[in-house]
Amino acid sequence: MSQKQTRWAIGVLGTSGVLTVIVLHWMVFFWVPTEATMGIVQRIFYIHVPAWWIAFLGFGIVGLCSAVFLWLGDERLDRAAVAAAEAGMVFTTIGLLTGPLWGRVAWGTWWEWEPRLTLALILWFIYLGYFMVRRTAVNPEQGKRFAAVVGIIGVLDIPLIHVSVTWLRSLHPEAVILSAENPMNLDGSMGATIGVGLLAFSLVFASLFLARYTVAGYERELDLRDATLAGTRAVEG
Amino acid sequence: MRAYVALVWTIARKDLLLEFRTYERLTAMGAFVVLIGVLFNFSIDTAVVQPQAIAAALIWMTIIFGGMLGMGRTFSLEEQDGALTGILQSPLPLDALYLGKVLANFVLMSVMVVLVFIVFLAFFKLRFSGSVVTLVGVLAFGVLGFVALTTFFSAMATRSSMGESLLPVLVFPLLVPVLRFGATATDRLFAGRPVAEVSGDLRMLAAFAIIFTVACAWLFRFVIEE
Repeated sequence: MSQKQTRWAIGVLGTSGVLTVIVLHWMVFFWVPTEATMGIVQRIFYIHVPAWWIAFLGFGIVGLCSAVFLWLGDERLDRAAVAAAEAGMVFTTIGLLTGPLWGRVAWGTWWEWEPRLTLALILWFIYLGYFMVRRTAVNPEQGKRFAAVVGIIGVLDIPLIHVSVTWLRSLHPEAVILSAENPMNLDGSMGATIGVGLLAFSLVFASLFLARYTVAGYERELDLRDATLAGTRAVEG
Repeated sequence: MRAYVALVWTIARKDLLLEFRTYERLTAMGAFVVLIGVLFNFSIDTAVVQPQAIAAALIWMTIIFGGMLGMGRTFSLEEQDGALTGILQSPLPLDALYLGKVLANFVLMSVMVVLVFIVFLAFFKLRFSGSVVTLVGVLAFGVLGFVALTTFFSAMATRSSMGESLLPVLVFPLLVPVLRFGATATDRLFAGRPVAEVSGDLRMLAAFAIIFTVACAWLFRFVIEE
């Protein structure tokens, strides 16, 4: 894609994403019926659940791109990993902020050491470590490899963390939409709202991802230009 | 295979020899353990809280904090004197370098863990009524998992502008399973519960230790190469 086309794509994805988010909020507040047992607070569900799906999508991309980057050493994979990590961090934060709001009403507590909450918080910190090794590495090329390694170790640790935290008692409801025994047992309008939520966040994610990916490309070009310039000066001087 | 083990041992022996000549890291870790015991003594009001009830938590947090202190310096000597370049130019496989470092760190940590138990049993009059063999197994696998991750990430931290202060940010989130299974098993053993109750924890600790020792040994080349 040319620069112009990329800018267009980011703009279109971003704008349609923001518009869909506005539609989603209208649906959540005015359109979808109130859930029978949990009442009004259940409406957070339409933002909370899609945010987590996208956050996990981000994590998946980070893990995959990191592994292939170490294998093939292709610069573009590293750019994709960092773009997915930054966009994923945004949605992890949304998930972590909307969860306690819901929990305060549904469970009567802001925070509970409950498996999914604990896992989510730990994931957030693994993301944080991912950015910190990248930024603070003395040699930026090494920083990319360090970050990829943190991504892989993080993905390896997730199942173990999951087991270690599920040995605690769980308050969090089981997955209702993607459950194997009873798939998609939502009312039609609720299903439509969650679908719009997923679409909205996917569009926002895609535009953030593409924007960050492009910026990472520019950063690399600048670095290369600086290095060439420094080289020329050294030869002249 | 034999030659490989000899290489691992060469690295471990070098580190241990240097350590037992200067006692730099062991002194720091040992002093930390004793002093933290003293500080815990002042921070726990025994009229309200029974140290016996929180023994496992105190012991494991001390192991982790004291361990971070020593493990963070795993590669500092090599990095300072440029010795790492020498090691990297030698025909030594990089995973052998990592495993040698892990072995040396494991020995240092074991010395520290023994001290932790002496200090806590003495200072807090803790009573232990469970199976000692199982406790040794829990500690061995727990410490191996801890050492596998901290040794690996200390190589990364040494090469970052943040230095050792980066280590906790990277390692603590990943250590949740070690602390969870290790402390639960230790708690139960202190309470004299049957070994069958902790066998699940022990298996998880062993799995953690094996997975990360193998994975980190393989990934080490991406961290250490220039």
